[in-house]
Amino acid sequence: MLDLLNTWFISPFEYGFMRRAVVGGLALSLAAPTLGVFLVLRGMSLIGDAMAHAILPGVALGFLLAGFSLPVMSIGGVLFGLMVALLAGAVSKMGGQREDAAMASFFIISLAGGVMLISIGGSSVDLTHVLFGSILAINSTALLLIAGISTLIVLTLAVVFRALVVECLDPLFLRGQSRRSGWVHSVFLGLLVLNLTAGFQTLGTLMAVGLMMLPATSARFWSKRLEGLIGIAIVLAMVASTGGLLLSFHLDIPSGPSIILLAGFGYLFSALFGRYHSLAAKLRRKTTPLAVEQG
Amino acid sequence: MSQRSLSRLQLHDLHLAQGHRAVLEHVEGDFQPGAITALVGANGAGKSTLIQAIMGELRPIKGKVVCTVPRERRAWLPQQLALDLTFPMSVEELVMTGSWPSHGAFKGYCAAHYRKGREIMARLGISHLAHRPLGELSGGQRQRALIGRTLMQEAELLLLDEPFSNVDSETVDILIRILRQMADEGATIIVVLHDMDHLRQLADEVLMLNGGHGRWVSPSALTHQQTPAQVVPFTIGGRHAGSA
Repeated sequence: MLDLLNTWFISPFEYGFMRRAVVGGLALSLAAPTLGVFLVLRGMSLIGDAMAHAILPGVALGFLLAGFSLPVMSIGGVLFGLMVALLAGAVSKMGGQREDAAMASFFIISLAGGVMLISIGGSSVDLTHVLFGSILAINSTALLLIAGISTLIVLTLAVVFRALVVECLDPLFLRGQSRRSGWVHSVFLGLLVLNLTAGFQTLGTLMAVGLMMLPATSARFWSKRLEGLIGIAIVLAMVASTGGLLLSFHLDIPSGPSIILLAGFGYLFSALFGRYHSLAAKLRRKTTPLAVEQG
Repeated sequence: MSQRSLSRLQLHDLHLAQGHRAVLEHVEGDFQPGAITALVGANGAGKSTLIQAIMGELRPIKGKVVCTVPRERRAWLPQQLALDLTFPMSVEELVMTGSWPSHGAFKGYCAAHYRKGREIMARLGISHLAHRPLGELSGGQRQRALIGRTLMQEAELLLLDEPFSNVDSETVDILIRILRQMADEGATIIVVLHDMDHLRQLADEVLMLNGGHGRWVSPSALTHQQTPAQVVPFTIGGRHAGSA
């Protein structure tokens, strides 16, 4: 038994790349699901996906300029992501088009532009790397960057927490309270872009959203309290990223998809058996009133 | 000091439009502190438009709204709330968000503020719901929780759009009492009303919107009408509710 535990859970971490990968995954798991919970609450679940595409041209430009340098690619990603967010905001303000529609238009342009840039300057291997990440190839610089960004996100969220909650709940009230309430939304989008940039090295631009959204959407089946949602989402993300890594190590399957599929399995399980709004909860609910009356 | 200079909200020759459609013209008004003004009119007469303009959400095409109440002491309870009811928040947490004017985004709540929040919930008869999630409240309970937030906010200008629709009679009684208390403490209150009974109990003054114009009438002029309650405000202006 101990041998089995050792083989499955301890020995993989004798490798440096596995240790760095798991630390990177855990750091991301602190920041990403928390942002995801707020995205879900704000009804912006798909915006995460859109932003993930939006950073791609920046990452590609960084790649063309400096080769596979994570800091340069990250800076490019952050700058481009923020630019797209600002543009989408401006278009929606100007033309009366909803922000999600403007965002959807910009992100698809960005995705095509990014893929084009990488294909011109690199190979299809590079493209795969950027789109799907390679958590096992994280070096110490990348790890520091990921941990630094995650720390910054968690700290910033702690500071703006109340404003974010009030804005999610009742934007009209916040607007009434302060003329400058728009900063809350901007800070939030900024954090989102930062997080996706940290995530693309490990999971790739396309899959980084998975670790953000899946634990958050799963948590809705387990808690009705904000603290609960955040806590549960973080735990789920940690289990998925560590578990996914181990699975990929032992079964020799790609790491990014294993992590996201494990999180996806968590989502399906939650939807079926969670405490609230799940299939099981609905079945339970049908029988409860009778039992109460009889008692 | 003239009465006009005492008022904290004035409308000067106000012209309002929604898109390219003119909604109200030449609206004059003077809302006194401590007075509850009922805003009446048929559907589409411009009640919500006027409230939007007073809250600074809609720019007048001509004329102006002069409001000396600080922004953070103005409260607006719209009919269709922007409030997300699936949001995982309890009644107490909602009431506490009303301390934004004093605490802003960053300052921590102290024990005295929590105490104040609990007193407010007791006044509204929702103490037992303090930890209940918003999504599990009835319409009346939700309306009381929202009024709790405005009390916490120490609102000096309160605008309510049909606050008594879809709420139970107990809530109506409590809300009428609380609104009167707020007015007695000096708040300026504007309520969109449809029901003559509520108008009779609550209003000190009535601003009637009809045909794009505002007309000030005394509540007694309306309540002495013998016409069935809900129809009165509409028939007086010569326009029936069904025609809007």
